[in-house]
Amino acid sequence: MTLLVEGISTGYGETQVLYDVSLRTEDRSLTVMVGPNGAGKSTTLRTITGLQRVWRGRVGFDGNDITSLPAFARVELGMASAPEGRRLFPLLTTEGNLRLGAYCRRARDSAEDSLSQVYSLFPKLKERRSIKAGRLSGGEQQMAAIGRALMSKPTLLILDEPSLGIAPILIKEIFETVKELEKGGLSILMVEQNAYQALKYADYAYILQMGRVLRSGTPSELKNVEELRKAYFSIV
Amino acid sequence: MRIAGLGVTFFGLLALMLLLLILPFAFPFSTSVILINLLFYTALAYSINFITGMTGYVSFGHVVFLGIGAYALGASADVYGLDPVLGVLLGAALGLVFALAIGLVTLRFRGVYFAISTVVIALAALNIVLELPQLGGSQGIILNLGFQPYSWYYTIWGIVLFEMLITYYINRGKLGLGIRAIKSDEDAARSVGVNVSALKLYLFGLSGLFAGAGGAVFAWTTSGVFPYETFSLTFSLQMLAMIIIGGVGTSLGPILGAVVVYLPSYYFLTVAIGTQLIIIGFAVVVIALFIPEGIVGTLKRRSASLRELLE
Repeated sequence: MTLLVEGISTGYGETQVLYDVSLRTEDRSLTVMVGPNGAGKSTTLRTITGLQRVWRGRVGFDGNDITSLPAFARVELGMASAPEGRRLFPLLTTEGNLRLGAYCRRARDSAEDSLSQVYSLFPKLKERRSIKAGRLSGGEQQMAAIGRALMSKPTLLILDEPSLGIAPILIKEIFETVKELEKGGLSILMVEQNAYQALKYADYAYILQMGRVLRSGTPSELKNVEELRKAYFSIV
Repeated sequence: MRIAGLGVTFFGLLALMLLLLILPFAFPFSTSVILINLLFYTALAYSINFITGMTGYVSFGHVVFLGIGAYALGASADVYGLDPVLGVLLGAALGLVFALAIGLVTLRFRGVYFAISTVVIALAALNIVLELPQLGGSQGIILNLGFQPYSWYYTIWGIVLFEMLITYYINRGKLGLGIRAIKSDEDAARSVGVNVSALKLYLFGLSGLFAGAGGAVFAWTTSGVFPYETFSLTFSLQMLAMIIIGGVGTSLGPILGAVVVYLPSYYFLTVAIGTQLIIIGFAVVVIALFIPEGIVGTLKRRSASLRELLE
């Protein structure tokens, strides 16, 4: 097991957003977190990557307690993320962005190898290597964000809404690439609003609602449950 | 992006510094005084470039480190009769220590909140100094260090040389990549493994160190430290103006900005006293309107051949 989140609660200012959220990921598997807007999916990811402090609870990674470890140090342990909205560095070139992905010590020496791996995974990025990242299309930006995350040689890849703002035809392509990465040995944690699409690819899924884990299970266990529909349509 | 090998900008700056090394012997004293002031402003421009130019954190009250350096030299020379060169080193050390202490708290703020916090600290520092009889209160400290143009000149020359080398080194290397990431998107930088807090503090420390050294030279050349003058926000504005005009974050921009801001203001100082700030303000407005990336940034954008050469 790679990631173990135990009973985290957190929020912004005085507003509590997460209530006792627990989840885990397994090696070589795609774990998906689904739920409506405002369910706390992104906040959960922010606490996992270290951008948001927890009020209570514990985050473990590969057997280490990383609850209070700063974000940059988590990257050194093998956790990489393609954050919501991609968050590329718009003024750097595509390749500059990818190279920054190998900024951490664990990946510095193998940067050239990783770069050619990313280019073979996303040939489009190689074509666009010297274009400023701000001028890439939505789909290309998402590829660059995933590529940048892969540059740090992670064992856990975290994806926040990879389908957001992308042409439907590309969504499938991205999900399939994600699935390929999983087969390559990565553990992946993905947040998606696009629940039905995401569940098609997931090995295990969590449904979040109003900052709580409503239910979890394999996609076949969850697909027809009333809870999924409820989570989306009957927000109290 | 070329990391290895030294570029034209490096050798250009080096050649300029070598020229400046021998220039005082070629010209009469009066010219040297202009050069000393020019180098002093250059030192200030490189100093604020470390934090504001590189990370985008506007250190509006940067004059506080200049003041600390000036008082370090003033007090040590006045009370202990310390050699002014040692006073400059002391100014640099205190600039560094105060920058680290202040930065540890204020660098947590972002954007305009950081800028405001630095102004507040500069104003507080002035009022603290005014209340301290050991530092001469509102009278300041009058020194009797004499006219030492060559010592002034080569001290400030050395400071500028160090600043240029460090700026170039940072911009060229892995650190520069991380710093550009911070300037672009701090959270994203954290997510790719950049130790954002440590890097910001490192740059703020450097910037305080060199502003402190510059301030000490200021006290030495004016042979005195006067609170309202040394903590004047005008210095902060001039520093910002210089890097905005020259090109923020670049290795070449600060010295270009210093030349463009200082020489006209020196000229106008002699023909129409009090107009230099109007001129600087006007220049900043024009630059912000027409070439917002400053001289270096604009030249790089306009010309593909210069893009490779200017850094």
